[in-house]
Amino acid sequence: MTTLSLKKTTSAWIITILVLFIIAISFGITMRFNQGRDINLNPDTFYSIMTVHGVTMIGIWSCAGMMAVNYLLSRYVKTSVKLNVFAYAFTVVGVLMIWASTLIGKFHAGWTFLYPLPFRVAWAKWGTPLFLWGLTLLAVVWLVWAIGMVAQILRNYSLSESLAFQHLSRTKTPAKETPPFILISFVSLIGIIICLVTAAILMALLFAEYYSNGGFVNDPLLVKNLTYFFGHTIANEALYLGLATLYEIMPEVSGRPKFKTTWYVALGWQLSLFFILTAFFHHLYMDFVQPISFQIIGQMASYLASIPSAVVTVLSVIFLVFGNKIKWNIVNGLFFLGVTGWIIGGIGALIDATISNNIVLHNTLWVPAHFHTYNAMGNVLFSLAFFFWVGNEFVDSKDYSKFNKLLLALLIIGGFGFVIMFYIGGANSIPRRYSVYPKELNLGDILATLGGAFASVYLLAILWIFIDLMKKCIKVFSSAR
Amino acid sequence: MDIYRFNEKMYKSIFICTIVLLSNYISFAQESNYNYDEEKDIYKVISNVTIETEQGNQKLSTIYETSPTILVLIYTRCYGICNPLISNLSEQIQQLDIKKDFRVLVVSFDAADRLSDMERYAQQFDLQNDARWIFVTTKQIKPLIESVNFNPKWDSTIQQFDHNALLVGLNTNGYITKKIIGIRGSNELQAMLKEINNEFIVSYPLPRKNMLFSCFTYNPTTGKSELSIGLLVMLAPALITFIIVLSLIKLGKKQRKTLVK
Repeated sequence: MTTLSLKKTTSAWIITILVLFIIAISFGITMRFNQGRDINLNPDTFYSIMTVHGVTMIGIWSCAGMMAVNYLLSRYVKTSVKLNVFAYAFTVVGVLMIWASTLIGKFHAGWTFLYPLPFRVAWAKWGTPLFLWGLTLLAVVWLVWAIGMVAQILRNYSLSESLAFQHLSRTKTPAKETPPFILISFVSLIGIIICLVTAAILMALLFAEYYSNGGFVNDPLLVKNLTYFFGHTIANEALYLGLATLYEIMPEVSGRPKFKTTWYVALGWQLSLFFILTAFFHHLYMDFVQPISFQIIGQMASYLASIPSAVVTVLSVIFLVFGNKIKWNIVNGLFFLGVTGWIIGGIGALIDATISNNIVLHNTLWVPAHFHTYNAMGNVLFSLAFFFWVGNEFVDSKDYSKFNKLLLALLIIGGFGFVIMFYIGGANSIPRRYSVYPKELNLGDILATLGGAFASVYLLAILWIFIDLMKKCIKVFSSAR
Repeated sequence: MDIYRFNEKMYKSIFICTIVLLSNYISFAQESNYNYDEEKDIYKVISNVTIETEQGNQKLSTIYETSPTILVLIYTRCYGICNPLISNLSEQIQQLDIKKDFRVLVVSFDAADRLSDMERYAQQFDLQNDARWIFVTTKQIKPLIESVNFNPKWDSTIQQFDHNALLVGLNTNGYITKKIIGIRGSNELQAMLKEINNEFIVSYPLPRKNMLFSCFTYNPTTGKSELSIGLLVMLAPALITFIIVLSLIKLGKKQRKTLVK
């Protein structure tokens, strides 16, 4: 059951996330225009912006997923508003620490802060510890939050029920049903706990080196393994949390019966927990000292990870949409568009995760192409759909008929136009993470300018959404119920 | 024993076994025995001493600025490692049939050696007419050997120097880009040739005494990399999560029981 305090906290999350999103998009557009030589930034400013852009985007959309799941969990289990408020407050503190380290301290080792870059100080001395402490705070707070939500699920469902094992039998009808939302949230939260524990270990190792004055040094390969295990997994699990909201809300707003947990949905999501944890090895193809078997695991897991979650979800959405009379509105429209973006980005990811292709595409613009597709045109849209849905809940409205097609058109043209410029760049071997391109790669300049222009169209749509949602969110704070 | 207490004991046993296994592994997995001298003075510029050649005195830089250079330090009276070192190096160069531009500069670190001794030494290996090989002496032995961290010790009993077999790779700017101590395989020589030609070669930092958690340990006896404690650290998050979830299951069961009562 949703309470007013849960609505207020959720509304504070939405406003904060959208404000940070708008600023982070502006940083992204600034970077693309700098690469296009339309403006001229110092390289250290460019890389500071790149760092804060990456870490903010990953952070806010992970939060958005967890916040949405927290809200919807209250339909099935008793949720803790105090825990939600605690997560919100300390997330704000963590974000401020990271922003101060990057924008004031000029820390610019990238959001992946790959070892040993944070210790090659080319910024204010306090930048490195502040950035790392900021990340540690976020990791610990979100870990406590995720553990809290898993505890709440396990209070009502046993472990086997949470994992929907009783649904694996094709003949027996289970005594207790596990809704797909509970299954997907549980699987994703377990994945999030694993990757946040990884982040805590990673931070402990980095601090050990930082504060030992050379008494302890890290193995770069171990740190890289831990960084990508954490980074790759949290980006994917955040997307899965978005899918959990899709399973819960999309049929409801489309006037269709709720999704059921069938044997293949249960099996698919159970397997995805394992595959998503092993797919990160595809980030380590260039690490020659690692056994070849790890590289093969990386490629296999990348392919296999897509089958349970993607195929099962796509089939579910197709069965929901085609051959049925659907009342299209902004919520299911964003969910449907998000699935499309997720699948396109996923295919781009699989192409890059194939070893023979990775030799060519590694560290080219193909990489930001695929992750921007499944984030900006996938995960973000899942969360925006939830924001619209919950915004209507805030004002006690079930009417989704106000559906502005221009808004979707701006998102589609801006979003896909923006990522297509990355794809063309990647296919032409334009490297990523360059503040400006050398003259030999002047195609990169043109694509960057066009990319920046398309991203500005996308930003317009987000500003529109922000204004619309702000009104609804602010109403919650003035509401007495 | 009721099922609740049995589960509690089982979780405790799993936890204790894991801690014991982890600590044992940490104790034994990190044993290694490396020679760290090869990393000393890398990317420092060699001392630009004057050398005596057939063409007269000239600066060392006139050699390495023309072509990337492998510097070999020997002395002609040596009946230890010097002969096998030169013999092995010349054989490897012939066998590899290297197309890369480079020279081998053989310098005596014995003040007693004259240029004529070095010429005879070259003839001993049939290298006197090989344009790639240059045999020289120098009066500035000390600054030269100090700049490459080569420390021969004179043993008056056997009237011989106690010294390493050292190859020093110099690029055309005089930077020491790689050192090889001891007679090693041809792949090491190829890596050195790549380094002195400023080509990218894959590298991995050697384990050091203060690096506690490495993913792999190189075994010099077998010549193979072995899995190490660092990869066990990779399993720690899953293990910790497993323990957290087990605790939450226990807590959930307890709360459900309380609710039923």
